[in-house]
Formats: sequence, C-alpha cells, structure tokens
Amino acid sequence: MRLYVDNSKCSGCNACRVACSLNLFGENNPKKAALVIEPKFPEPGVYNVRVCTQCGDCAKVCPTEAIKQDSQGVYYVDFAECDLCEACVPECPEQVMFVRSKLADTAWKCDLCGDCVSVCGTSALWIAEREAVTA
Amino acid sequence: MNGYGGKILRVNLSKGEIKKEPTPADTARDFIGGRGFGIYFLLKEVPKGADPLGPENKLIISSGPISGMMVPGGGKCDWTTKAPLTGGYASSSMGGHFTAEMRYAGLDSIILEGISPKPVFLFIDDDKIELRDASDLWGKDTFTVEKQFKDKLGEEYQVAVIGVGGENLVPYACINHDYGRQAGRGGVGAVMGSKKVKAIVVHGTKSIPVADKEGYRKAGMALYKACKDAEGLKDWTRYGTTIVVSWCDEVGALPTRNFSAGSFEDGKNLYGPVMREKIVITDKGCFGCPSPCGKYSRTKKYGTYVEGPEYETIGLMGSNLGIDDIEAVAQANLLCDNLGIDTISAGNAIGWAMECFEKGIFTKKDTDGLELKFGNVDATFKLIEKIARREGFGALLAEGVKRASQKVGKGSEKFAIQVKGMEQSAYATHNATAMLLAYMTCDVGAHHNRSWAITYDLQVGRDLVTPEKVARVIWLQNFRPMFDVLGGCRLQWVELNIDRELYVPALEAITGIHRSWQDLEKVGERIWNLTRLFWARENEGFDRAWDMPSPRFYQDAPKSGATRGQITKLEDVNRLLDMYYEQRGWTLQGLPKTETIEALGLKAMVA
Amino acid sequence: MVGGRAEVEVETGRTVRQTLESLGIVPEVVALVVVNEVQQSKDYVIQEGDVIRVLAVIGGG
Repeated sequence: MRLYVDNSKCSGCNACRVACSLNLFGENNPKKAALVIEPKFPEPGVYNVRVCTQCGDCAKVCPTEAIKQDSQGVYYVDFAECDLCEACVPECPEQVMFVRSKLADTAWKCDLCGDCVSVCGTSALWIAEREAVTA
Repeated sequence: MNGYGGKILRVNLSKGEIKKEPTPADTARDFIGGRGFGIYFLLKEVPKGADPLGPENKLIISSGPISGMMVPGGGKCDWTTKAPLTGGYASSSMGGHFTAEMRYAGLDSIILEGISPKPVFLFIDDDKIELRDASDLWGKDTFTVEKQFKDKLGEEYQVAVIGVGGENLVPYACINHDYGRQAGRGGVGAVMGSKKVKAIVVHGTKSIPVADKEGYRKAGMALYKACKDAEGLKDWTRYGTTIVVSWCDEVGALPTRNFSAGSFEDGKNLYGPVMREKIVITDKGCFGCPSPCGKYSRTKKYGTYVEGPEYETIGLMGSNLGIDDIEAVAQANLLCDNLGIDTISAGNAIGWAMECFEKGIFTKKDTDGLELKFGNVDATFKLIEKIARREGFGALLAEGVKRASQKVGKGSEKFAIQVKGMEQSAYATHNATAMLLAYMTCDVGAHHNRSWAITYDLQVGRDLVTPEKVARVIWLQNFRPMFDVLGGCRLQWVELNIDRELYVPALEAITGIHRSWQDLEKVGERIWNLTRLFWARENEGFDRAWDMPSPRFYQDAPKSGATRGQITKLEDVNRLLDMYYEQRGWTLQGLPKTETIEALGLKAMVA
Repeated sequence: MVGGRAEVEVETGRTVRQTLESLGIVPEVVALVVVNEVQQSKDYVIQEGDVIRVLAVIGGG
C-alpha cells in the first residue's frame, strides 16, 4: 500500500500537511509534515505534490536501522533510533525524507497514517496497492 | 496560551522600533482574535480625529484561533484600520496562507504604527524581525515583488504586498498575497502605502499549542468529513463564487450598467460554466480549505494568468460596465491585482463614469480622449492604470464615487452607488429589501459580506418590509463576521451548509474555553456596537443619513430585466431603518443607546 | 432534498421551472440547473433519460 496524488486536484490548501505533522509529532506545524506541496505560480499556475511511494530505498541505507517496516510492510522512522546521519535523504527518489535538526532531533517520513487523505477536500490524495515496479 | 501564537508585534515605523508583547489573556478571552482584536486595538490606540493616512493611524493585522489549524477554512487574517475611503471603520479579510504563517511565527497581531521615513518591507523570520530597505521594490507590481521574494527565500515565506495604487494612496488601494488574494476594501492598501511599507514577509517554524489535542483532532476531522460529505461540494469547488452569476442575472441582482438594471442581456457569456471552460486551470485554495473557491485562470486573448475573476469582479467589471467578454474581465482583474486597487470600488467607479459620459456630463475633453461608453474594454483597461497612478481623469475616479460625484455635481450624486462613501458591491438591490438593508447598515460601508440576505428575500417575498426581515439581517450581522474573528472563512458554512455546531468543540479544544454559538453571537453583537461607536466618534454629526442607500434604489426602477419596473419606496427604506434601530437598541438617529452599551458590557471600552 | 429524498423521478415534456414548482420548490432559490452535466436555464424542457441536478442557493457572499 502507498499514498497516491493527483496533482491536478491539489488546491495548495496544506490541510494534509497540518494533519501529517499532528500525526507524526502531535504538533500543528506543516513544516514537520512528510509530504511536499510545490506551488508553481504565477505560471503555469498548478501545484506539484511529492509523496512517499513506500519504495524502501531509505531503509536500505540507514546505518542504525531506524527505518523499519510495520506489520503491513509500511516503512516508518523509529524516532528513538535515528541519529540524524542523513544517509537516507539523498536516497529518496521523491525527496520526501526529511531532516531539519532545528525542528526535530530525528529524520521523519510518511508512515501512511491516512490522515492526509481524510482532510483532502478535493480527493487529490488516496491510498491504494503499490503498482508493480518494473524498472 | 492555548490556541494562540502568543505575541503581539508592534512596529513603530517612525522610530524604526520593533517590540513584542504577550497577547493579553483577557483580550483573547473577550475579543477572541481576528476582527475582534482589530476593533479592540483600533478603539484603544487610534486617537479620535486621526488622519487615516497620517502617523496616528494604525494598521492592525490579526489572525485567530483557527488560523493555521486542522480546521476547514483556517486561512484568513483581518486587516483593521481607520479607512481612507470613508473616514470610518475598515476591516478587510484576506485569505491565502499569510495568517497561518503569522501564527507559526508566534504572532497573533502585527500592528504597524507611525510612518517610515523611507520605503521599507517588514521581514519576519521566527524571532528575527527587521525593517529592510524597499527602495528597489517601490513602483513594482505585486506579482513581480511576490515572485522576487519567493525566488530568493523559498516557497515557505508568505508575502503581503501593495502595488502602485497603495503607494499613490488611492483610497481604495488593496493589499495582495498569494497571487490573487487581497485585503480588498476601504483603502487598507493606502494606509500601508502611507506608512511606506511595501510588503510584509513572514516565515515561522513554531507550533501552535492547543488545550486538548485529542479533542481538537477529533473535532477537526469531523469538520472535514462534514465538508467532504456536503451535497454541494463538487459544484461549489468547480465554480466557486461564479456559481451565482447566472442566478443573480435571473433574479435581477446582477449589477448592469452602473446598477441601472439587475439583469444583463449578454450575461450568459459571463456565467460560471462558460468561464470554467474558457479559462480556468486550477481550483486554488486558502489554508486548510476543503472547498477551494479560487479559480486560477489563463486567458488566451491576453495571455493573462490571474486568480479569478470572482463573482464580484464579474459583476462590477463585467455586467456593470456592459462588458460580456469573460477574458476581458479576467484581464481587468489582473490589472487591478498587479496595481493593487480594489476591483469592486474600481468597477463601480468606472460604471459611474460611463453613465456620466453617456449622459453628456463628461465629454472626451474631460476623459483624456477616452470614449467612456458602456462596453468599452480598452477604455476600462486604460482607466484602471490611470486610477492607480492618479493620472489625468483617473485622479477624479481614484477619490471614490462619493467624493467624485460631489465634485462633479450635475445630478451625478444620484447615481453614485455607495453607502458611507464605500462603493456598493455586486448585488443590485432595486427590489430586495433585506439585502438593501444589509448594504445600508454594513459596518464598513456598502459591502455584502456581513449580511448576505438576498436568498432570504427571494424565499419570503423580495419586497416585504417586516420585522422578521430586519431580524434576519441583524442575526446574519452578529453571526457571519464571527468567522473573521476566529481567523477563518465563513464559506464552508455558507456554501456547503455544514452544521455550525461542529465548530464549537474544535474551538473549545483549541483554546480551552467553551463558547457556544450564542456566546459567539454575543461577541459579534458587541463588536458590531463598537464599530458603530467608532463611526460616530470619527464623524461629526454621524446619523441615519449615513445609512441611506443610493437614490437609484428608491427612484430608478429598471427598464429591463427580471426587476423591470420594480423599485423600493423611500418610505419603506425609512421603515426598514427604523425597525433596524429599534431591534438593535439604537436611537432613531442610529446611535447605540446608553442602556444598550451598558447591557453589552461595553461601558468601560467607550469611556 | 425533496420530501426527504435527494433523488426524484420527474415527468418529461415540462420545463425545469414547472417541475420545481410542482415539487414545492421556489424556483428563485435554485442557483444552478445542470442537465447531463451541462448548465441549462430553468426554461429547459425535460426529455426522456435526462439527469437533472439542481443546486439551491443556500447562502452566498
């Protein structure tokens, strides 16, 4: 399972990111969210959203095994085990592995909680089976 | 303090001094935030008789408890000041992402005081707050300036910026943000320009504390679910405010040719579905909004990118000017946005000028050679520039229709469509008595946002003059602006018809204070009386004459359209006003009675 | 909602306006009429198989 997004439906509202930070950290702070919204304004006038595809590339390189898989196979960060080495950050093909040491003393990523989907008014986000990766 | 950023930022521009104070807990308890904080600081700190464009006026920018939260519509901030346009109370609500970012920087209000000796911009980055030189930004259009900041600093930084209109102190200059959101009316942009502040840039990385995290999460999720389950969500999202263009045309509320009628024979070219198909690219939303009303568009004819046009701009720059080309309206919208002037006041003023021209009050000698006939798109574009720069004929229109028509005379005052000096927004009220009363008594001038009552008119009988209609207007005036106080948007309740009770547990979980809607409407009633007292304080001889509508609505029955031959009687206008004052506990001259002030607990504030 | 139901079957050959009135809905409070996903006026004459959606003006502004 993974998160999917239809960029054409994104309104840039950021409700997903507040919900995300609330889930991950118990805080109202979208800067601690695990998905990114890139506004492209004034031209071409659209939003580009980057989400975790649950590919697992981050976990492969984590030296402390802080990036684990739960019983559903979802990759998440065990905050207690992360030592901020940042090895995972460049590995992420979607650039949604986050380290901002001023904001948290751990890396963070999407744990597929689904709260973003619940608050997305335009249904731009949804969770479904990962499609088979051929490349 | 739970539910708040925690600090008031004071910027003394004359001295270049920046101070932070803790947000007073009792102010937060009694005035809650947003527009509530606005009137609190305005009454307390702006001295009687202050020049709106002088150093004693203040520009008070306030977020509210739901701004930046997981609550639908938590994306609005209030800009309160003494209005250059009217000399009275101005409160303008701006969407986008500015209010959220203010809160993440720990700020509940930003208060701009004094006047800077040189053009500056206010830079806020968490606790790093500075006034920086804006001399290379002065004179630039709003899109250019915002993009410059975003390119340099990154997308996390939020920008509010004035255009040339604000720099030139045009009395209806606005403030722009997020390529298409404005603090629009009353001249808030001129106040910012008079203080020589070109822009405010804000960025914050703090969290907003809440009293009950689980309760807040639950209540927020319930609100989002209600919005997502709403019957009208898909249509509202598809069309935004343009959803009512066809309806207004059909019921005679679409202002046509300077409000001479309420239906436009070519109106169908301006309808929502036509606009959607022709120019709309993206449904663009404010912070936290599940029902994005922004219709970000691109015109093929002009290559314009613009957020809009909204219903108001379609009304005032389209049908009101006899223009039926939606792409031209979009271009007019962009010109106003970039130059930083209010599309509503500008469209209304240009409509007045066109009627004057068609009546021979102006000739091409007066209008810099412009053929100001209804339908002239090119003249409209040129006039918008002239107004923003106060050049040539534009200088007269820049003053607003009340002052302009007083200067020109020749009967033109009779068709200056304004109340208290503010140009009426886009609902023609020849025969819709609740909406007419709403415009007459709105606390900033002729604006529709407080009491939008026109459906109620159509439901119960548009020409009825009853205590029930008056009660309806008053209820809407006490209730709707509370969303501005909470730091959010009313449109989820207004357009999706979600149960407003769902906000109560969210607000309580965020602030730790329980407030029912009765409590909130009481705060609304108190604020309403305070803003009325501000008008009276600032305007010698303030009385019921200030509440009278344009004579067009009791003298000039439309000759065409859905309201052909229909008009309100002057005696009914006065009856409505008498009933309104009585129900509000005001004198027959429209001033809050002493017992009303006391009963509302406002004696100390107005001592 | 009409009589508590969100969906009703209506007769062909009548205008949308007439149909609304017969259902006890004041036509003036309907903001939008969409027939087969295309906006129509209230004078549109309903045909066999048409799917008509109407949206009330609840509030505004």
